[in-house]
Amino acid sequence: MATVKKKICLIGSFAVGKTSLIERFVYDRFDEKYLTTIGVKVSQKALPPVKNPRGGQIIQHTFLIWDIAGLEKFDSVVANYFRGAAGALLVADLTRPETIDHISRLYDRFSVISPDAVVIVLGNKLDLYKEENQTLSALKAKAVEFKTELTLTSAKTGEGVEQAFLGLSEKIGCLNE
Amino acid sequence: MSDALKQLLTYKNLGTVLFNEQLQITEADELANELFVSIGQRLHKGHLLDFFPELIGNEEFLKQIIHQKKNDFRLDFVNRAVDDERPIFFNLLVLPATLKNHGLLILENVTDQALAAQQMNQHRYELHLYKRDPEFRKQFLSESILGRSEAIERIRETIQKLSKFPSATVLLMGETGSGKNLAARVLHYSSMPADAPFVEINCAALPEHLIESELFGYEKGAFTHAVASKRGLLEEARGGSLFLDEIGEMPLNMQAKLLNALETKQFRRLGSTKPIETDLRIIAATNRHLQIEVEANRFREDLFYRLNVVSITMPPLRELGTDVLIISEYLLKLFNIEFKKEVKGFTEDARQLILNYSWPGNVRELSNCLERAMIFAEHETLDATELVISGPLAQHGKPPAQQWVVPTGGLVLEEVERQLILSALKQSGHNKSKAARLLGLTRDTLRYRLDKYQLS
Repeated sequence: MATVKKKICLIGSFAVGKTSLIERFVYDRFDEKYLTTIGVKVSQKALPPVKNPRGGQIIQHTFLIWDIAGLEKFDSVVANYFRGAAGALLVADLTRPETIDHISRLYDRFSVISPDAVVIVLGNKLDLYKEENQTLSALKAKAVEFKTELTLTSAKTGEGVEQAFLGLSEKIGCLNE
Repeated sequence: MSDALKQLLTYKNLGTVLFNEQLQITEADELANELFVSIGQRLHKGHLLDFFPELIGNEEFLKQIIHQKKNDFRLDFVNRAVDDERPIFFNLLVLPATLKNHGLLILENVTDQALAAQQMNQHRYELHLYKRDPEFRKQFLSESILGRSEAIERIRETIQKLSKFPSATVLLMGETGSGKNLAARVLHYSSMPADAPFVEINCAALPEHLIESELFGYEKGAFTHAVASKRGLLEEARGGSLFLDEIGEMPLNMQAKLLNALETKQFRRLGSTKPIETDLRIIAATNRHLQIEVEANRFREDLFYRLNVVSITMPPLRELGTDVLIISEYLLKLFNIEFKKEVKGFTEDARQLILNYSWPGNVRELSNCLERAMIFAEHETLDATELVISGPLAQHGKPPAQQWVVPTGGLVLEEVERQLILSALKQSGHNKSKAARLLGLTRDTLRYRLDKYQLS
């Protein structure tokens, strides 16, 4: 069985729940306590093996998931965080509208460093979200702007989390080699 | 690599890993090996990316560095923690090596710097979230009531529920130093917007005539020294909370005026005929047993019922089990910062002493005891001999027998006994067996006394 490792990044403002999303997807756990991330932490998660329709070979994809601290400035080190990524989840906090604006800035920078990478927009903290059309339409508009889709997630309850990561793997081509 | 460079790297505590064009490790120095041992791995010859998955996706970039088409590749604060308890951070820097067609990866342990930066960001972000995010504020404040005991969990839950009803009046009861003031603040800040006022008055600290003008305010000329009009605390607290500490000490005359303001939701400044609407939450606190105060005619019954919409009884420290150690550790951290010391914890003897003492003055007494110990502390840990406590040690966590003193005006012993039986029944939820145990009586003796006082 061939193994292929793909780098994906979680990008967003501080405290939008990037670490919690990874904890939920990789370890299926959640901690209420907020602990800010410093630098970068790489976690690995093997995806379901797939058969290559051309050669029939079984391929095991592994996501190297980069949990990157909420970035406030961009320099060459940040470029290195983004470089070589196959995809990214752009995470906004549904309860803090200002985090939606931040993902534009982050996306611009990310797409310059990794132009071929695919992205999905996530609206996290769905469990705390009180239906409010403005936030949702702003987030939908971002997804349209980045020519991608929007997934609403809750790292706390797990809702939409696996769907988001598997959605990204499908866009990257890990589920249909 | 030149000898001078090697010396410099060793001097700066930097590990080095040499790799070739195929990204195979050809050499790793002792320090790099040591750093890998610290994260529970062994560094040996093999593919660079197997040991440094952080470099995956940058293979072409690394090859360009080897061929000196790029200058360097740097990753700061790479978290390589084995678990949450032992954080380890590395900086990775890749440079062209002097050996042809090779690259040099320099590895630095930057855990201390990363943790310092992490702590700084944590405070900054928490402050930001605290101001902007009500949910975060609730969670943050809830955690400021320390402890894991069932009693503390119940307090947190009650405050959480009450935070959804920002106009509900709350009565906080409990011994002195048991955290009523903290609970009042947590309740206020969990319920209200960040800028809502929290106004506090200690009813025991002001004479009667001052309490009135402080609470209701006054108009210019209302009394001799009223040279200008002044807003009262009921006005200052509009849209927020008014915390009436030690409400049990409020003079009866003032109690009537306060009750009127609470009932009608309006009041008048002294010297004014114009009513002012109240729009606030009242949080009252007392270390007195208000029911007994009512029976003794020292507290108005109608005000008691008006305040006692929801009551929270803060448990005394002696009933919180090992929570006293959690609170002690927290206070130790605070005093370390205040006194610029680096005391790491308590010896086992000190822990046992803290656990077994009854702390009649509760957290205030504990805090004073630790503050005194920290002022004189000279070692890495605080020992029992450094903790000066003023009372006898409790037996198996139970409080020591209280010293009863007959008031100068005398008392009726049977009335005291009757009150104690009522109290035991209340504490036991009217379970006679439990009440008898609380009083150190047999069930039959208790039944006899219940008949005697016509309480059955």
